[in-house]
Amino acid sequence: MDKVKEYKKANPFKLFGDHVQAIGTGIKYFVRPQRITLKYPEEALSLPSGYRGLIRLYKDVCIGCTLCAMVCPADAMKMVTQEGKKLPTINYGRCVFCGFCVDICPVDALKETGVHDAAFTNRRDLVFYPDKFNKSYDEPPTERVVKKVKAVVDEKRGIKYVPDE
Amino acid sequence: MDILGLLRFYILYPSFFVTVIFPGLVFTLLLLLVTIWFERKAAARVQMRIGPYYASKRLGGILQLVADAVKFVFSEIIIPNEVNPTLYALAPVLMVIASFLPIAVIPLSVIPPSGSVFSIYFKDFYDPDINAGVIAGLFVNYNLLLVLAIESVYPIFVVLLAWSTNNRFAVVGAVRETYLSVSYDVILLMSTLAMALEYHTLDIAKIVSYGIPGIVANPLAAFLFFVAMLMGSSRFPFDISEAETELVIGPYTEYSGFLFVLTMAGSYVGNFIYALVFADVFLWGWYPLSGFPGLVLTVLKAVIVLFFATFMRSVYARYRVDQALRGSWKYLLPLAFASLILGMVVGYVWIR
Ligand code: SF4
Ligand code: SF4
Repeated sequence: MDKVKEYKKANPFKLFGDHVQAIGTGIKYFVRPQRITLKYPEEALSLPSGYRGLIRLYKDVCIGCTLCAMVCPADAMKMVTQEGKKLPTINYGRCVFCGFCVDICPVDALKETGVHDAAFTNRRDLVFYPDKFNKSYDEPPTERVVKKVKAVVDEKRGIKYVPDE
Repeated sequence: MDILGLLRFYILYPSFFVTVIFPGLVFTLLLLLVTIWFERKAAARVQMRIGPYYASKRLGGILQLVADAVKFVFSEIIIPNEVNPTLYALAPVLMVIASFLPIAVIPLSVIPPSGSVFSIYFKDFYDPDINAGVIAGLFVNYNLLLVLAIESVYPIFVVLLAWSTNNRFAVVGAVRETYLSVSYDVILLMSTLAMALEYHTLDIAKIVSYGIPGIVANPLAAFLFFVAMLMGSSRFPFDISEAETELVIGPYTEYSGFLFVLTMAGSYVGNFIYALVFADVFLWGWYPLSGFPGLVLTVLKAVIVLFFATFMRSVYARYRVDQALRGSWKYLLPLAFASLILGMVVGYVWIR
């Protein structure tokens, strides 16, 4: 039977040196931290224009064909009947932002907006019924100043944020 | 003696002051919050994050810990179906007591015959070895031995706790703790034995009053004690028994609410006790101060050691249990023998 080699032979002095080096590196970063966390509600990354955001509906354009509800892989899109007309309603608790519904719509009644802050204070607000779904919320809320930043590659730190105007 | 004087006499009485106020219960509770805050903040700093912040932006998020503590204290304590409720509730309490008890016998400063707020107790806490009073909850001649003896009961309560919760994660965690406690206790005792041989005494107060810090006299023993301290209080890289990614939280898996706070406090308090011993034996303790400033100096050193031990979280990953055992038996045990010999030689040649 072959002898199983369990551990590499290691030079204990080198091991000790490695530990000292590891702690040294830790202390270096502790004294001079290189944080890359984005303080989100105050600073936000400006995203490329093709980045899929929340979806909106043009109620008057929609012909109620139910294709969007059928194609939705996450069961987020459902049809409701309003005044005899079928209209889609979306649940952002389920939506995975795949964009299939936008692609399949035969009359382009759905559109991806540039708003990505899908944060709500309770779960009922996650469901957008046709009336709410119909509104244009292309404009992000502006009562608080959000600092837009963009990420650039940095030689030393890997990534850093610069203000984006 | 008037009422105020009487009150002052009893509040400052070392047996009460040291165990309850500073660095006893009250101080330890505050220290616990600050230490956990520091641990999270330090790990975040090193790992390019920010850590707790929004709870109190000005104070660097320290109120987050207060919020967490309040949340834990008021959350429901769930007792599993098939456990003995008495043992279940008692085990964490016993564990914290076992890890906290040694604070009563660690000498933390000396009392000069006059000129200090503690001078009135000079006679009651007189240590004939160093010819001065000692600020400690209870003065015993062999306090170095007693501290380690009491603190080494702690892992037994961890096993009791895990056993009484009847949970397989807990039992696996407890088995790991048993493995480790066998290996770190040996190293801990041998490194302190080296110091005892070196200074020809088992009295911490006498070791400090020699005027030579232990870390200079026997750096090997200091290193070993520090590593054993990390293992003993399951700090990184030896948080093997709690291993969050493998064992939920090891022996404490079933606990919730206030009992969980106690289980978590146990290892931090144990670490603080070891840090106090480390500060006394290896870092010169209260020397050259005495009285109350000396007490503060000792505790300050211990707090720095404690912070350094928690800082390890940001640097290390976790060892596997076999790696930790191999390391401690294969590398640290021979080193412990070496520190014993070094202690004997230095004790014979240098420290009379
Ligand atoms: S984007 Fe995808 S998941 Fe969201 S509603 Fe449309 S089809 Fe469903
Ligand atoms: S696919 Fe377009 S037209 Fe058809 S129901 Fe959905 S939104 Fe209306």
